Amino acid sequence: MSLAWISKLGFAAGLIALPATGWAQSVNISYLTHWSPETVALLEAAAKDFSKEHPDVAVTVRAVPFGDLLTTLRSQGGSSDGPTIGGIYDLWLPELAKDKLVAPAPDAVAAEVKSAWPAGVVSAASVGGTLYGIPNEIDVYALNYNKELFKEAGIAAPPKTWAELKDTAAKLTDKARGQQGFGMINSWAAGVVHPFASLLVSNGGNLVKDGKPALDSSQASETFALYEDLIKSGASNPAMATADANTTGPFLDNFVSGKTGMIIMANWWESALKTGMGDKFANIATAPIPVGPSGDKPHSISYSWMTVVNAKAGEAEQKAAWEFLAWLNSLKSGKNGASAMSDILMSMGILPSRTSDIEAHKDKLGSEFLSGYVSVLADARPFPVVLGGQEFSESLQQTLEALQYGQVSAKDAQTNAQADATSILERAAK
Amino acid sequence: MAKAFRASAGIMLAPAVTLIGVFVLLPMLLTVWLSFQDWSTQTPFSDASFVGLGNFHEIFSPTSVGRDFKTALLNTTIYTALSVVLILPLSVVFGLLVYQREIAGGTALRTVLFSTYMVPMIAVALVWSKLYSPSEGPLNQLLGLAGIGPQPWLSSPRSALVSIVFLNVWQQVGYFTVLAIAGLTQIPGSLYEAATLDGANGREQFRFITLPLLRRTLLFSAVIAIINAVQVFEPVALITQGGPVGSTNVLTYHIRRVGIERAQGGLGSAMAVMLMLSLIVCVSALFAFANRKDSE
Repeated sequence: MSLAWISKLGFAAGLIALPATGWAQSVNISYLTHWSPETVALLEAAAKDFSKEHPDVAVTVRAVPFGDLLTTLRSQGGSSDGPTIGGIYDLWLPELAKDKLVAPAPDAVAAEVKSAWPAGVVSAASVGGTLYGIPNEIDVYALNYNKELFKEAGIAAPPKTWAELKDTAAKLTDKARGQQGFGMINSWAAGVVHPFASLLVSNGGNLVKDGKPALDSSQASETFALYEDLIKSGASNPAMATADANTTGPFLDNFVSGKTGMIIMANWWESALKTGMGDKFANIATAPIPVGPSGDKPHSISYSWMTVVNAKAGEAEQKAAWEFLAWLNSLKSGKNGASAMSDILMSMGILPSRTSDIEAHKDKLGSEFLSGYVSVLADARPFPVVLGGQEFSESLQQTLEALQYGQVSAKDAQTNAQADATSILERAAK
Repeated sequence: MAKAFRASAGIMLAPAVTLIGVFVLLPMLLTVWLSFQDWSTQTPFSDASFVGLGNFHEIFSPTSVGRDFKTALLNTTIYTALSVVLILPLSVVFGLLVYQREIAGGTALRTVLFSTYMVPMIAVALVWSKLYSPSEGPLNQLLGLAGIGPQPWLSSPRSALVSIVFLNVWQQVGYFTVLAIAGLTQIPGSLYEAATLDGANGREQFRFITLPLLRRTLLFSAVIAIINAVQVFEPVALITQGGPVGSTNVLTYHIRRVGIERAQGGLGSAMAVMLMLSLIVCVSALFAFANRKDSE
C-alpha cells in the first residue's frame, strides 16, 4: 500500500473517530459559583478527576461575584441552557424551590445526605421535607480580635459580656491613629445582619420566632441600643465599615491593616485575612460572641451553603449533575478519607458540613483561628430560612445602616425593623 | 399614482417599523401591562393575575417597598440633575478651549478628553473605587498634602452619591465636549468678525453669539445626558451595591433587585413604568422650554 493510500485511510479513520470522541463527552454540565479564581482552579481540577472516571461528562466552572450570584441564577436558571449546578445560600432556597428553579434530589442522593450530614444542615437544604441540594459548607460567626492591639492597650482577654465589649472597644479606640475599637459592616446585607443577629441570640433574642418577626422583644431593644452606644461613643466608625460587591473593601482593609480592634465575622474570611495580613495573621484570634444582659451563654448565627441542580436542565444533564455532586461530596473523591468538596472548602478556611469531613480535617480545624469557630458551632442558631428571607434581610440591613450613621435612634430603628419585617414576611407568605 | 406611492412607501418602511414594533414598542407595552399584574419573573406570563393599581399603590406606600422606591427615585433625580449641571457647562468650557485652533496640542487635548469615554466602565469603577479608598486612596493622600483631612467619599451616605456623580462626569465629559465642538464649528466665523468690528469683547461675543447659537446642540446634549444619567447602573452595581444606607440605590439598580433578584416582576414593572414616565415628562418639558425660547 502506498504512503498516499495509508494517509488517506488514516484521514478517513480520523473522520470516523471524530464523532465518537464527541459522543465520549456527550453531556456538558456547568457549575456556577462565586468563588475566587484560586478556588475555582481547585474545583476545575476535581472536575477533571471526575471526567477521568466519567469520560462522557464534561464539567465547566463559571464564577460571578457574590453580589451577582442570585441574579444570575434567577435570570439564567430558568432555561435549559442556564447553569446546571449552582452553589446557593440556604436563605435563597425556599423561593428558588417555590419558583421551581431547583430540582429535588434523587432518592439515592437524599438518602445519602440524610445519613451523612447533621439533621440541622439537612433541614436547611430542604423545603417541606423534600431535599433540594447537597449541603457543603457551614459558616458560623465569632468575635475576631487583634492580639497586638489588645497588648498595646493593656487588655488581657477578649470581652465576655456586652459591658466588657463596650469597655474594651473604648480602650482600643484611638481617633488620632484612625483606629476603631469595634468594626461594623455596611453595604452588604449578610455582613450587616449576621453580626447583629449573633449579638441578638447571645442576648437571648431571635430575629424570627415561629415564622413571625421577633424584633419587638426587649432583647432586640437592648441589641439596637448596644449598636447606638458603640456608634455614639465613637468606638465604632461606620465610615470604616463599607463592603463592596465581592464582600471585601474598607471593612476588611481596616481590620487587616490593624485599624480595627475587634469585629464579628464568619470563619470563611480566613483566606482573605491570610492574603491581606501575611505573617501578621498570627495576631488574629477568635473568641465567642460576648453575652448580653439578657443572655445565658454565647451563641452565634450559623448558615449553610449547598449545591443545587437546575430543574429546567435536560434529563441527561440533571443525572450527570447529581452524579458529579454525589462524587464531589463523597469520601472517595478527596484526600485521607475526606471529600474533594471539603478539601476545596478547607483551602478557604470554610468548615465542611459533612460529619465525616469534620473528622477527616480535625487537625486543620484545630488551628488557633478555626478552633474558635468550631467551639461555638454547637450553640449556634441557624439563620431563619423563611419565604421572603432575603428581602427581610435587606430591609433590616437598611435599618441597621441608618442606625450606624445616626439617621435613626435605636428605638425608631427597632420599630421600623419590626414593622418592615412583618409586612415583608406576610406578603411573602401569601 | 398617489396610491402606488403610498404602497411603495409602506413596503419600504415596513422592515424598520416591524423591527421597532417588535423590539421597542412591544417590550414597552408588555412592561406597562405587567405593571398592573401580580407576576413572578420566574413564571410564564399566563400566571400573572390582574391587581389594577395595586403595584403603584405599593411603591408609593409607607412600607419598606415604598420607602426604598421613593429613595431610589430621589437618588436618581439628584444624580441626573447633578450630572447634567456639571457636564454641560464643563463640556462648553472644554469645547471652547479645545476649539481654539491656535493653541498648540489642541488635537492631543481633544483625544485625551474623548478617551475617558472609551474606557470600559468596569475599569473606571475599579480605578475610582481605589482612588476613593478612605485610608489608602490617592485622593485623600493629595488632600492630606494640602492640609485637608481624609474624606469618607463612598463610605458616607452624605458623599457617596456625589462621588459616583464625579466618576460619571469624568467619564462622560469628553463625549459631550466633542458634541460642543461640533456645535461650535456650525457658528459662522463672520459673526465674530462683525461683533469684533462693533467693539464686542470676548465675554459679550460668548453671551450674544456663542451661547444662543449653541442652544440646539446644548438641548441635544442635555437630553442625551439625562437619558445616560437615568440609566446609571454599572458604578452602583460594581462599587457601592446601592449603599451605604441606600444612598446610591438608583432606580435601575433597584428595579434589577426587585424584578430579578426577588422575582417580583409586577412591582419591578411598575417601577420601570414610573421611571419611563418621569423621563418622558422631563424630556418633554425640556423641549417645551426650548421651543418657547425659539418662539421668543
